[in-house]
Amino acid sequence: MHGTSTLLNWILWTPFIGVVGVILLPYLFSKDKQDNVVRWWSLLNTIGSMILAVVLYMKFDTSVPGMQEQFAVNIAWIKQFNIFYSLGVDGISLPMIMLAALLFFLCILSSWTITKSVKGYFALFLMLQGTVYGVFLALDFFLFYVYWEVMLLPMFFLIGIWGGENREYAAVKFFLYTFFGSILMLVGIIALYYASGKGVDSFNILALSGGKFIDNQVHMFGTVWSFSKVFFWAMFIGFAIKVPVFPFHTWLPHAHVQAPTAVSVILAGVLLKMGTYGFLRIAYPIFPQASVQFADWIAVLGLINVIYGALCAMAQTDVKKLVAYSSVSHMGFVMLGLAAMTVHGMNGAVLQMFNHGTSTAMMFLLIGILYERSHHRWIVRPDGTKGFGGLYTQLPKYSIVFIIAMFASMGLPGLSGFISEALIFLGIYQKYTTITVLALFGLLIGAAYLLWMFKRMFFGEVIEECKSYTDMNAREIFYMAPLCVAVIVFGIYPTPVLDIMKSSVGQLVSLLAQFQ
Amino acid sequence: MDYTITTVAWIVLLPFFAFVINAFIVKKVPNVAVGISCAAIFGSFLLSGRIFFDFVFGKYSADYHVHKVFNWFDLNGGGQEFVMKMGIYIDNMTAMMLFMVTGVAFLIHIFSTYYMKEDTRYGRFFVYMSLFTSAMLGLVLSDNLISFFIFWELMGFCSYSLIGFYYEKEDAGNANIKAFMTTRIGDVFFLLGILAIYFQVGSFTFVDIYAAISSGMFTDATVTIFGFGLPLALIASLAIFMGTIGKSAQFPLQVWLPDAMMGPTPCSALIHAATMVAAGVYLSLRMFPLYEIHPFMLPFIATIGGITALGAATIALVQTDFKAVLAYSTISQLGYMVLGVGVGAYNAAFMHLITHAIFKACLFLAAGSVIHSLHDHHTHQHVQEMPRMGGLKNKMKFTWFAMWCCTFAIAGVPFFSGFVSKDRILGDALVMAMHNPYYWFPATLGFIGALLTAFYMCRMMFLAFHGEPRDKDLYDHIHEEKFSWNRNLPLLILALFTLGVWFSGSLTGQKLVKVASDKVEWFDTLIVKPKTENFKNYQKQNWGPVDIKSTISFPVSKYDSNHGLSEEEAHHVHSVHSIGAIASIIIAFSGIFIAFMMYIRKSWNPGWWVNTFSTWYRALQNKYYFDDMYIKGIIQKGLIPVNNFLAWVDMGIYDKYAIDGWEKVNRCAFTVSKWFDNIFVDTIAVDGTGASVRAFNVILRTFQSGKIQFYIIMIILVLSSYIWSLA
Repeated sequence: MHGTSTLLNWILWTPFIGVVGVILLPYLFSKDKQDNVVRWWSLLNTIGSMILAVVLYMKFDTSVPGMQEQFAVNIAWIKQFNIFYSLGVDGISLPMIMLAALLFFLCILSSWTITKSVKGYFALFLMLQGTVYGVFLALDFFLFYVYWEVMLLPMFFLIGIWGGENREYAAVKFFLYTFFGSILMLVGIIALYYASGKGVDSFNILALSGGKFIDNQVHMFGTVWSFSKVFFWAMFIGFAIKVPVFPFHTWLPHAHVQAPTAVSVILAGVLLKMGTYGFLRIAYPIFPQASVQFADWIAVLGLINVIYGALCAMAQTDVKKLVAYSSVSHMGFVMLGLAAMTVHGMNGAVLQMFNHGTSTAMMFLLIGILYERSHHRWIVRPDGTKGFGGLYTQLPKYSIVFIIAMFASMGLPGLSGFISEALIFLGIYQKYTTITVLALFGLLIGAAYLLWMFKRMFFGEVIEECKSYTDMNAREIFYMAPLCVAVIVFGIYPTPVLDIMKSSVGQLVSLLAQFQ
Repeated sequence: MDYTITTVAWIVLLPFFAFVINAFIVKKVPNVAVGISCAAIFGSFLLSGRIFFDFVFGKYSADYHVHKVFNWFDLNGGGQEFVMKMGIYIDNMTAMMLFMVTGVAFLIHIFSTYYMKEDTRYGRFFVYMSLFTSAMLGLVLSDNLISFFIFWELMGFCSYSLIGFYYEKEDAGNANIKAFMTTRIGDVFFLLGILAIYFQVGSFTFVDIYAAISSGMFTDATVTIFGFGLPLALIASLAIFMGTIGKSAQFPLQVWLPDAMMGPTPCSALIHAATMVAAGVYLSLRMFPLYEIHPFMLPFIATIGGITALGAATIALVQTDFKAVLAYSTISQLGYMVLGVGVGAYNAAFMHLITHAIFKACLFLAAGSVIHSLHDHHTHQHVQEMPRMGGLKNKMKFTWFAMWCCTFAIAGVPFFSGFVSKDRILGDALVMAMHNPYYWFPATLGFIGALLTAFYMCRMMFLAFHGEPRDKDLYDHIHEEKFSWNRNLPLLILALFTLGVWFSGSLTGQKLVKVASDKVEWFDTLIVKPKTENFKNYQKQNWGPVDIKSTISFPVSKYDSNHGLSEEEAHHVHSVHSIGAIASIIIAFSGIFIAFMMYIRKSWNPGWWVNTFSTWYRALQNKYYFDDMYIKGIIQKGLIPVNNFLAWVDMGIYDKYAIDGWEKVNRCAFTVSKWFDNIFVDTIAVDGTGASVRAFNVILRTFQSGKIQFYIIMIILVLSSYIWSLA
């Protein structure tokens, strides 16, 4: 695979050009203009990024199941170790690229009100975007790992500097948790490097795929272990922490609550999907037989995520923490879909990744909008008084958007969440009937905590402190509108997204089916 | 002209587009929005009317149906293929439902222009009404369970929005969450049922399910849940029936419907009486062949129906709120429909669905007309309490007249529609009881319920419209009702259709000629239990309008299709039915008589009953303590403490000790490892495993240092150390 296409390079490096611009451009302007220059430059940069993503979508050939040759980039990077700078895109990564392009653009708009060292914030934010693209585009395992790790850096500072009261604790926790997983993944990468004979393809994700390591063994702790089982679990934990799968989920509520709005949006909307993307791109294709063997575990963990996340969400009095736990619950559905390994389940999982990205981004953006007015997020304060009340009367436009986001999130038919959840249920029912029955109750609890939150915050008389809140302004409406359209349109007509992914997902399902 | 998706879909799309357009213009020009909504529903009414007349007035044979599909999306891979098809299915039942829903909805739209006129959210109300109507029509036209479920849930959403319409009220928030969550319990099971059926049949469409049933696919199939192999037919039917229990407010999920009266009265008329709640019964009728498979199912359904019919009727006895009486009567009447399904009275249950929709819509609109006039000048609230009414007959003649028509219908007075349909259900219950003694139980509940229905409806009428005004001040402020088209015309049109002759007679001459039997009424001809064997050879690929004239066999009497009786038995059954009819008439008039004696003649004192049966009275006032049990018991004492406990364990125990505790563990480990560093560093093989352990310790050490710069350096160091170690 020798690529000459420059499109993916442009997509990947545009945000980094943006970073350079953010650092250098302000020097051309007077002090009082610098912040706005940074903001507008970042906005233009993300718009450019979005245009490139759309170009990629237009050129994308939905009938090709694997990596698209026309976009391939493959250049030797560190020749001694056969490490390549190779990029590629297929039907699983394209929806994620599109989602990231959209969300970063919207987040720049939502970050307009950031005033604390604007330059640093936007530089890190664009850097985050670049690394996210890197993860979704990389086809070289080493390159993938580099982006995976480098991504922690902007995240760490974005949470640690622009976060809430307990930001440092949350940042360190996020960092260490993810790093722990990364190290296990790194072990796997190195093991694969040796197992595949240190040849030209030993970091090539595509070349490693297809279940090549069934008979390999590994000597550890004085015993002989199955290579694929051991390193499947190493990869599994690495990705599971990112998803996050129970019991590796406790970083998420901390990180979400402390992170600034835009970072929460990216965290929930894009970064969590990197975990499940890791399953689809790496763990499943490279260790298909182990994946099939351990599907039961994945399903059980997914179920725990769904139910446990939802029950914990119900107890939260901080609205952002509530939505954070709801992410745990909804990502559990993705895990269930992945465990199904059927055509409905897997497509449902990828679709759920996309749909959860849009709906949960809406929730976090909305909470951010509210937070800018209230400077607190208590549904019920620790002293038992109401944090909000009567918002429906006070903020009618905001409430309508909130209702759309909330119902999309709980999977109301006609909005995007339903189709992916229905597909996932179709996928798992036959193999895991009991788990399906239990997971269905996740839908019930999912509706309960959201509606209960909505009732407590929006119904009734307007409480005194809410009377000063103003409804959404034009900028806020502008950045909520695309997501509203997305959740409604893809709820009624999911075909555009499904068309992109279905041949690639189908290929993966076929691969797994060989090992069933 | 053939029916195609594009022509039929306008029935659904007109109100839907009205919803979309109105959502954007409602703030600026509410009157235009209202106009668009009404025009859209009228358009749907005309289109449905065409279908209705085509199907009912003999253009097609009785078994004719239209089935058209299109691909929504398809997926494939791993040798599996999944095609999600959507489509329309029209048979006689669909045609009648469409006509009823659009007709009733149109009249309610008209009435709403009167009722909601002064409301500050006049336009917004119509936005929801349009969406709701669209969803209901989509449900009626659905050819498969998935689209049925989609529209089913959308109606749940509309119901949620309309119950919470007055969102300044805290109670509205409680009521709509209760309605949504209670029905969603049923919906979750419904979805499970859909899944169970899909994996047996390989399709979601009704016709494929019928075909599968007739080929015996469900007979011996089992499904394993929690390690138990359970009969699939039972699990699937129970799960789907749970959907009905939730949506049609059957025991034990009946608690949401009375609270749903928080919404504006016209929406109560449309959603919580005439159509949405009927969707549950409609589902039961569509899935009826499935319920027949397992012998447990029909008696169970009949029991649920009977309990609901009687239980709700008893609660209605003690209500003082005008709308609450109607709400409980709705639950009770839905119980009769479900009872009808349970005793296999397929067409009677459907007929009751139609007749009930009409008279209940009328009752609610009339209630709206009353409540709207009763304006308390001190509190600026509308009055719904019957103790403050009385004597209203003199002030509002039209409403009074329409309401009495409907009361006669619901009470089962002969020549009114409710008599025709309810008598059939009860008659069939008796017939079933002759075959299977168990059915005496639900049948008896049904008969007692009928007595109470007649009583509490007349009690309501007497208390509100007759006697002396009990709140003179309120009474004096009521404006005399003058005929106005948008207030009274809908009432009178609906009242006209409470006459039994529309349903029992042979108005559709052409059909009767075809039937060639004077015993059979038009409803029996048109609404026949799906004969699954007709679908046996139904080609999945060959979807399109199918005219299966050759297989038509009209039932000799309305019972034989249900119970497979011979001519002789049918004759016997006929006599049972006559007994049932006479009993119904006696019961209805007894109920009316008791109410008359209590509230008009005042010879019998209701207070005596209250005092004598005070325990029962309290139980009824507390709705048999179901709300207390669910909210105070299950939710407040069960669910919420469990949630709080889990959340506490998650953050306070698990995260605090199992995760953050590693810091302490590693602090010790680090001290030790520093000591052994020199010895062990050489012995550890320089492979990934060893290195990662070391890296972990290195990183955890930086955790204690707390300096941010360290982390960057560490990443770079770790990364580069790997590159070097591999060299």
